[in-house]
Amino acid sequence: MSGPALSVSSVIKRFGNHLAVDHVSFEVPRGVVYGILGPNGAGKSTTLRMINDIIAPDSGTIKILDGLPPGTEAARQIGYLPEERGLYPKMRVIDMVVFMGELRGLSGAESKKRAAMWLDRLGLGAWTKNKVQDLSKGMQQKVQFATALIHEPPLLILDEPWSGLDPINAEVLREVVEEVRSQGRTVLFSTHQMEQAEKICDVVCIIARGKKVLEGKLRDIKRESAAEGVIALGFSDEASKEKAAGPLEDTKLVVDRRPPRPGEHADCEVILADGVTPHQLLATLLNHDVNLRLFEVVVPTLHQIFVQKVGAAAAVAERRAEDEEKSVA
Amino acid sequence: MRDTWVIAKRELTERIRSKWFIVMTILWPILMVGMIVVPALLGGQGTAGAKVAIVDHSKSNVGTQLQFNVAITLKWDAKIISPDSDLKELRKKIKTGELNGYVVIPEDAIDGGEIVYTGDNASNQTVTIFFTQAANGAVIAKRGEEMGLDAAKLIKLNLPVKVSVRHSTGEEEEAKSGIATFLLGYMIAFLIYMMITLYGINVMRSVVTEKSSRVVELLVAATKPNAMMSGKILGVGSAGLLQILIWFLLGAVAITFRGSILSLVGASSASAGSFMPSLTITQLAVVMTCFVLGYLFYSAMYAAVGAMVSSEQDSQQAQMPVTFLLIIGIIAITAVTNDPRGQTATIMTMVPFWSPMLMPMRYFLGGASLTQVGISLAILALSTVLVARAAAKIYRVGILMYGKRPSIREVVRWLRH
Repeated sequence: MSGPALSVSSVIKRFGNHLAVDHVSFEVPRGVVYGILGPNGAGKSTTLRMINDIIAPDSGTIKILDGLPPGTEAARQIGYLPEERGLYPKMRVIDMVVFMGELRGLSGAESKKRAAMWLDRLGLGAWTKNKVQDLSKGMQQKVQFATALIHEPPLLILDEPWSGLDPINAEVLREVVEEVRSQGRTVLFSTHQMEQAEKICDVVCIIARGKKVLEGKLRDIKRESAAEGVIALGFSDEASKEKAAGPLEDTKLVVDRRPPRPGEHADCEVILADGVTPHQLLATLLNHDVNLRLFEVVVPTLHQIFVQKVGAAAAVAERRAEDEEKSVA
Repeated sequence: MRDTWVIAKRELTERIRSKWFIVMTILWPILMVGMIVVPALLGGQGTAGAKVAIVDHSKSNVGTQLQFNVAITLKWDAKIISPDSDLKELRKKIKTGELNGYVVIPEDAIDGGEIVYTGDNASNQTVTIFFTQAANGAVIAKRGEEMGLDAAKLIKLNLPVKVSVRHSTGEEEEAKSGIATFLLGYMIAFLIYMMITLYGINVMRSVVTEKSSRVVELLVAATKPNAMMSGKILGVGSAGLLQILIWFLLGAVAITFRGSILSLVGASSASAGSFMPSLTITQLAVVMTCFVLGYLFYSAMYAAVGAMVSSEQDSQQAQMPVTFLLIIGIIAITAVTNDPRGQTATIMTMVPFWSPMLMPMRYFLGGASLTQVGISLAILALSTVLVARAAAKIYRVGILMYGKRPSIREVVRWLRH
């Protein structure tokens, strides 16, 4: 178990005049949940399709597990949920999953055993004999998970796994991903749904317009962003609010004040001056006899980091896409 | 190879399970048996008991003889009526159902005058055949009487003339009835044409379904396009082969027990026609090889067509050139039957587009030796390899393309790639 589960280096893919993937490089360590984040059209799916040998990169190299190039041999080690969900509509659910298991290298008997197990696990035990087309969209998606999981691949690749899933099924999927990680296997997924990514990723890679913008451990990225010194304040009463007005106008302490973000319980947010620690602000406020009900170092959400890194224009597009998805669901 | 097998297995089991396959497999032989039994039943019953009036203008009583003849051959209840009868009245009687028809015998009947039968049952094939015989017999008998022949000589004159036309190419074996050989060849040519079209288009539609349901993405990630195409063609083809074998088996059973089947429904086996096709092992081998190779040849083309289009409607149009090639073969059948050794037949049975359908027929008719069959099959096999390779190139690119159908120029570029 040495070396990364996947390494992508300087991969370029062009469609006509459009540069879909532009010198993208990243490495997925073994045993982590790795999220590729980006707005629609950023090149996420194209990258995943190249790893799955559906299309070939124009240049650059992709190495899977122990240095395998994309292809049949590597395919036995990969479980894949494509962005374009598709199953044989007239096939029985169980047969569909068994077929994919066999295609990924399992024997017929083994594939049958595991298909039944996985369908049961995903809550489709009562539907195995039904035709795929008789199932709802969400159920069909779970059948697809089963086809990706059946051969218990060391590398699981999920393209937009949460799109079209209700909260309960989203939870089931998250449990499965956690379980795969706990077994030391690797999960690589793409999404533009930051809340989901935030809950589950160990490492993220943000790409936009075909280029890598940011890569790193989610924890590190968030810690770095938090160090920028934004504090949310909540006052216990009106008197405290007035008492706090003085120190908060001291530009040696606070450089900016702004209203809290909607939905937060704070009364305001302040940005600390360079070199001022949160502790200093707290001490000053207490000295002024300010009663606080909330004092919080604001850790930006992945969504905020994403917006900041990718840029407002891309973020608008992303939010719109998310809204569309919600209205469809 | 393993992937090809897994995919072929899926295609075969999915097809065998489908209602379409089961219905076709059972219904078709029933239809074929029906085609033997129903004419036998209809032919046997025919128009017995029909009420017919004879208007005899002849001087030599042709009418009496005809009345006797139709009573025996057609079992008609014929009555001679006054020569002055109004034909309009007779027609009215046909309309009311009082009469089935009437015969008008002209004055010069025995000197070449035309005897006309008019009736509501005249569209029946047996009426035409047997009435002609009956009228012939009546006129000849009267001519003999006129020449002064006695009764014994008259009977001899009227003895039926037995004729049969047999097909032979100079082989030692006993020559078969020409019509049987023709029918057998025709049936086989049509069966091969039908099965290639049916299962070839099935391959195409199955490719289109994979594209439109987007399951193709899942497959391409797991295996190679080559395995997908070959697996599909082999799987669908196995279903076709299985169906043909079931039919041949049922056919063999039906032919062996033809007599009992016919008597079961109350028809005499004689009326089903004395010709009944039978196949030798060599002939069967030629038929099966032609079907298998022909199917592989055409299904590769159909697979490529399926990969080029994105929807079922598109495929209807795009398949036309391929289907058209097949139809040319069916049109050319008569060219082979008319002159199995001729130039047209020789050329058509060597060109791989048509040899799968036409070669078995030409071979049955003795137009080609086994060596020629072998050469034709070798050409077909070689062409199949070439076509399959080209198709695989189109397939590989095409299955991942959506939207607009590619232009000829684009397809050529895929082929060069």
